[in-house]
Amino acid sequence: MASKEENNKKKWKQDFPYHKQNSDLVNRREFAKMLTFVSGGLTFGTGLVAAKANLFPKKKVVGEHLICAKSEVPIGGTRSFTLKDSDIPYILVHLENGTFRAYEQKCTHLSCSVYYEPGTGHIICPCHKGVFDANDGAVLAGPPPRKLPKLSVIERDGSIYIAAEEEKSTI
Amino acid sequence: MGTFRTNQNNANIHKLNTLISTVIVIFLLNLSLQIWLLYTALNYALEDNAQIATIAFIGSLVIFIICLGFLYYLPTGKPAENDH
Ligand code: FES
Repeated sequence: MASKEENNKKKWKQDFPYHKQNSDLVNRREFAKMLTFVSGGLTFGTGLVAAKANLFPKKKVVGEHLICAKSEVPIGGTRSFTLKDSDIPYILVHLENGTFRAYEQKCTHLSCSVYYEPGTGHIICPCHKGVFDANDGAVLAGPPPRKLPKLSVIERDGSIYIAAEEEKSTI
Repeated sequence: MGTFRTNQNNANIHKLNTLISTVIVIFLLNLSLQIWLLYTALNYALEDNAQIATIAFIGSLVIFIICLGFLYYLPTGKPAENDH
């Protein structure tokens, strides 16, 4: 086999002055540049999320809304409702201890519709067995990453009203 | 140019190889951090926690700038011997 030095002197080598190491490294350089490009893409994506969160925040519930009469929801019972000008489904739960709670009915995992399991104090998501605490919406088990968004419930004159929750943390 | 660099290269012929592999590993680590940041931003920004998204974006931007900086250190390969 011709040695490297001999090859270097050949005419073809001078016409095509390629070196194995150079071409290997060039490929990996391209790969590294591609990775940087992907990195830029991820930055851009995170930027979009941040812009969306800061510039177009989720609309808050304004004012109080009448849902139903207190007597319409028995203990352990629930009632689904939506608010005017919004298509978010909510669920009103009458807990066994007599208090009312209202949550968004969309699971924080993949938005399946959750239901109250009477007698357990748990709100269950049937899709991947997510379990929330019916008392404050906290995640007790399963894949959901956040609490269920909560509304505050006002009982007045035998009727149930809901309003936006005061300070809220979903972490 | 002196022969120092050439001698070094001859003494450690895998140097460039190691260098570029290291840089690529650092890129991959940076990317996984960014994916994690994006995931976190998505998870929390969906629910009123806009600050987390902002911080995640700043973090992601810093990592991207670091990646750009690392491009400078990518070895170009051994200069061909008959170039000199
Ligand atoms: S959608 Fe509710 S647990 Fe997955």
